[in-house]
Amino acid sequence: MVLHTRVCAVSVSVLVWLLLGCSLRHASQDDIDCLKSIKDSLEDPFGYLNSTWNFNNNTEGFICRFTGIDCWHPDENRVINIKLSDMGLKGVFPRGIEKCKSMTGLDLSSNSLYGSIPSNISDLIYFVTTLDLSSNNFSGEIPPALANCSFLNLLKLDNNRLTGSIPPVLTLLNRMKTFSVSNNLLSGPIPSFNDTITAEDFAHNPGLCGKPLDLCRSTSGGPKTGIIAGAAVGGVTVAAIGVAIGMFFYYRRMVAMRKKDDDPDGNKWAKSLKGEKGIKASYFNIAISDLS
Amino acid sequence: MMERLISVCLWLILVSRVAGNAEGDALYALKTKLADPNNVFQNWDPTHPNPCVWFNITCNAENSVARVDLGDANLSGQLVPELGQLANLQYLELYSNNISGTIPEELGNLTSLVSLDLFSNALTGPIPAALGKLRKLRFLRLNNNSLTGQIPMSLTTIVSLQVLNLSNNRLEGDIPVNGSFSVFNPTSFRNNGLNNPPVAPQSPAIPSTASTLSGSIAIVAGVALLFSAPTIIFA
Repeated sequence: MVLHTRVCAVSVSVLVWLLLGCSLRHASQDDIDCLKSIKDSLEDPFGYLNSTWNFNNNTEGFICRFTGIDCWHPDENRVINIKLSDMGLKGVFPRGIEKCKSMTGLDLSSNSLYGSIPSNISDLIYFVTTLDLSSNNFSGEIPPALANCSFLNLLKLDNNRLTGSIPPVLTLLNRMKTFSVSNNLLSGPIPSFNDTITAEDFAHNPGLCGKPLDLCRSTSGGPKTGIIAGAAVGGVTVAAIGVAIGMFFYYRRMVAMRKKDDDPDGNKWAKSLKGEKGIKASYFNIAISDLS
Repeated sequence: MMERLISVCLWLILVSRVAGNAEGDALYALKTKLADPNNVFQNWDPTHPNPCVWFNITCNAENSVARVDLGDANLSGQLVPELGQLANLQYLELYSNNISGTIPEELGNLTSLVSLDLFSNALTGPIPAALGKLRKLRFLRLNNNSLTGQIPMSLTTIVSLQVLNLSNNRLEGDIPVNGSFSVFNPTSFRNNGLNNPPVAPQSPAIPSTASTLSGSIAIVAGVALLFSAPTIIFA
């Protein structure tokens, strides 16, 4: 009986060990694939990645020696930070980053990346705490999905060509201490972030308005003018119709009153006729016969 | 007179030798408590003036111990409180061994410590709150042990912390999200008995365009009513 339980215990622990080992290896391969995908999708004209991003060496922790890559542990292929700032890299946002599932810091600033920031960005970099995409050529709108990256402490999107408005949901990022969208092509009202984010962080956007910048002005042919004009036209039209209806009824009343003056008894005679049927008719008959 | 001078000289030499060995004594205490099948301690000789020549020990320019590199060395046994005496220690690397017992709270005295790597061992007991005194700590990796108890709030006051890994332990209680812990996400706390941090409120802010639309409709309705009411009454 003791032997049986001992064998059970040993086999269970072996199974657990294997499963643990399996999951660890799986994570490791994901991170390698992540970096391979980044290297394949970005142009590297100055060869910054070429020199150290060598995938032929397969020892444990080899990706930790890559330029710009920090690992959770020096001997384990699990990426914690990707810092590829100022390397002249060209291309769109590398979606393969999704496979670096333990990544918390992404810095792609000061490169020549273009295209839009993926609209499902929170599926790609959910755990990120610092995201720096500043000083690139990113265009399109700021994806509201960024609000799902709830661990963001720093979000820098400044010095790009982003358009549209700042999604109000971004104010839900309650860990965010640094947020910058200056030097873009953003417009519309600024949602209310906390006081650590100042006017400088929104500056140099031709259409952005609201605190901490100048208040949004409602004149200058904006949608509000149209609404007021439409209301005025609508009101006058309805008023005119109302007056017309009123005049119509008034006119009818006038006409009716004039008819009454011509015939003071009105239709009294006709009415009395209508009222007595049989007796009146017989009276009439007698009258006629008397006449003849 | 001469005798007095000689005895003073001898006493000074003795004192200097003892002082030079204080860090060596501390490290030697560690050696006595660990089993060493790989023989990594082979030249750890306590009669040396200082431990700077010992394998896996690195000293700084002032001959004071700066690094202990005993990771992945097949060691077992326990840690010793004497480790707290290494005042200039920056890197304590004891990871991937089979070290058991608890984390000595004396490690909180290592005020120069930059990296504390005790991950992948068999350590038990709590994370000492005294570790909050490590004001220069950048890497704290205690993952893959059997540590219990709560995460001490004192750790959130270490502003230099860059990498924190407490995953795969038996910790319980709440995950701090304040101070330096604001930059740590669930990856640092996986596989414990910890409570998930509170989720941010999900109700989105009502965009301002909808309210202006409803306002304008109200304006139209009001004006229309104002104009048509008297005429209808007259009719």
